[in-house]
Amino acid sequence: MLAQGLLMSKLSQSGACAISLAAVVLLASCAKGPDTTAAQAPSAPPAIRYASHIDAGGERPPGATFQDPKTGDPATIKAGETLFTAMNCDGCHGGGGSGWVGPSLADGRWRYGGSDAAVFTSIFYGRPKGMPAFGGKLGSDGVWTLVTYIKALPVAPDIATESWENH
Amino acid sequence: MPRSAPARRRCLQTLRMLAVPILAATTAALGASPPHTATPAASGAGEWRMPSRDYGATRYSPLAQIDAQNAPRLHPLWSFSTGVLGGHEGQPLVVGNTMYVVTPWPNVLYAFDLTQEGYPLRFKYRPAVSPNAIGVACCDSVNRGAFFADGRIVYNLLDGHTVAVDAASGRQLWITQIADVASGETTTMAPLVVKDRVIVGASGGEFGIYGWIKALDLKTGAVVWTAHNLGPDADMLIRPDTFKPPYDRGTDLGARTWAGESWKNGGGPVWGSISYDPDLDLIYYGTGNASPYNPEQRAGDNKWTSSVLARRPEDGSLVWAYQFTPHDSWDYDATGPMILADLTVNGHEVKALVHFDKNGFAYTLDRATGRLLVAAPFANVTWAKSVDLATGRPILDPSKQTGASKGNVKGICPSLEGGVSPASPAAYSPRTHLFYTSINNLCMDYAASQAGYVKGTPYMGANTPYMAGPGGKMGGFIAWDAATGRKVWEDAESYPSWSGTLVTAGNVAFYGTLDGWFKSVDARTGKLLSKFKVGSGVVGNPMTFRGPDGKQYVAVYAGIGGDWFLLAGDYRSDDPADVRLPADFIKDLARRTSQGGMVWIFGL
Repeated sequence: MLAQGLLMSKLSQSGACAISLAAVVLLASCAKGPDTTAAQAPSAPPAIRYASHIDAGGERPPGATFQDPKTGDPATIKAGETLFTAMNCDGCHGGGGSGWVGPSLADGRWRYGGSDAAVFTSIFYGRPKGMPAFGGKLGSDGVWTLVTYIKALPVAPDIATESWENH
Repeated sequence: MPRSAPARRRCLQTLRMLAVPILAATTAALGASPPHTATPAASGAGEWRMPSRDYGATRYSPLAQIDAQNAPRLHPLWSFSTGVLGGHEGQPLVVGNTMYVVTPWPNVLYAFDLTQEGYPLRFKYRPAVSPNAIGVACCDSVNRGAFFADGRIVYNLLDGHTVAVDAASGRQLWITQIADVASGETTTMAPLVVKDRVIVGASGGEFGIYGWIKALDLKTGAVVWTAHNLGPDADMLIRPDTFKPPYDRGTDLGARTWAGESWKNGGGPVWGSISYDPDLDLIYYGTGNASPYNPEQRAGDNKWTSSVLARRPEDGSLVWAYQFTPHDSWDYDATGPMILADLTVNGHEVKALVHFDKNGFAYTLDRATGRLLVAAPFANVTWAKSVDLATGRPILDPSKQTGASKGNVKGICPSLEGGVSPASPAAYSPRTHLFYTSINNLCMDYAASQAGYVKGTPYMGANTPYMAGPGGKMGGFIAWDAATGRKVWEDAESYPSWSGTLVTAGNVAFYGTLDGWFKSVDARTGKLLSKFKVGSGVVGNPMTFRGPDGKQYVAVYAGIGGDWFLLAGDYRSDDPADVRLPADFIKDLARRTSQGGMVWIFGL
């Protein structure tokens, strides 16, 4: 049972985000399973707008760009660090999210987008190369706590160039 | 994970040897598809029909056209990009005039026509395989090879399925789900076919699986039996009066040697090879590490992880088991091959089983009983002083015992990559009576911590940084006398050695290096005979065959990966979202290799 109410209240607490009602309904509905009306509607809008996706023109499809309500909160970051280990996130993404079987979360580069909403979605619903969906285990509160921690990780210097010559 | 040792039905073998030249000539003339046979074990001298070439897992070929005199003339004749970047472990098969190659995930099967110039494809088979398995496989999306039997190519898909494909047409005959990716199980090992049984197992020692081995029906793919590698006797297919382990007595050892119910997530995967002795009618395989890595969560011996198990292929009954590393506290999987060879030990002829373990010891056992005959370190070992031949148990160094309460334990050798990786199978030559294997010279610190089980996520609890072992050379290639437990010669390598081994009747041994050299050496002396840079690090296993033109060829995969997917640092080029620093113990490997799967063929 997912904490849909919590998810919505967190979203509304965030204040900083423009969310279409349809997007919230879809996000909540998806969490319930495939039998909900919104999920079946062929014209349902995407819940998340990915800034990195290219646009075919016309009117921009509706989509949410909501933000983490606890960004930068020290207690939440601390709780997220504990959760990151307790959920074995470090087993795939490495200690401190430095990368292992799963990609680094601390290199400033993102496979599925680095916005709060995109990171939330990755954890809540999972991703296709083996990232499990933790929404059912943690609820939206727990997932937001992880987002707060991950987004607070110090980003390593970008090593776009690796040189073996002496300069 | 090496394996080798022949043990064959003599009449069939003789018959086969007589039949092969005629058969080869016929198929060559017709450009025909591979012959169907009801005898899966049968293999012509010029062919390579199963992962380790023979049931004894010797990786020895009787071909001798290429020998120590002419090997310096070896050069590449053909290459093919598989289009896949994952670690290319395993080896091609050659059946009749067709070469079969299975790639890492997405597990494409290529069939090359060796009768035509450029070896065009007869077919390509692309199974529907889930990408979820990529992230659940602990150590890259590898595949360790296919098996040819009864006109079928049988192999595992990474996402927990076994498939059988018609070797002539490429048509899928059956597909069976054997493992559950959502529970942390993936399937990287190469199956073994014995009569009408396909024997398979699953990886997942890093995910707290309840390890098992299964037999499928070769005709239909239906699961015939499932035996767990730990747990109560009923789950392990331990039947009254059939189980006679050499050193242990009692019932339910697979559960009672674990604290509480810790066996239920105790690991014991099967990700190496399986061998078979037709005379004794026993299959042999090694089990992987106990879960989690923090041993204090599972007090006891943790049987039968890090062990060799001998079973009846017909019904799975366990006949004997021997544990190399009781209460594994260092991630010492025993999934490397069990090589079957007939040796003279202390003046006695012995049907032996030889195993190079991750824990750094090479073991020679009596394969009828499981009794230990010889155990000696082939790599630098600090976790144990020796192995007691009377009890079969290692004499531990208590200062190297790990656990969450012990903090960071330093200077453990070998590292958990193993004195040799189980992914790097050894070879045995009945001509030199020597075994050949890649080795690693790495040590580690081991800081264990409490681990919590969450389904489908890593269940580990240890931080284990590596460093080079004594001397600073991180790898090598050795010849080993398993009758005496003595190293005969060694060629040092700068990087850890991760390829399998081939040895031939021409007294040439073959292996590859992580920095991308494919080498041949004199099997008697270790003298380098040839080397060629194949474009990516070699973690696959060389094999040899006789082509339709009657000439001997040697094939090997290039394509660094496996654990080196994790350890080599920034050697990727295909994912701009995954950029990382080089591993601190091997800073410059990424200078010498990048990813990329290639099949190479060499000849004179």
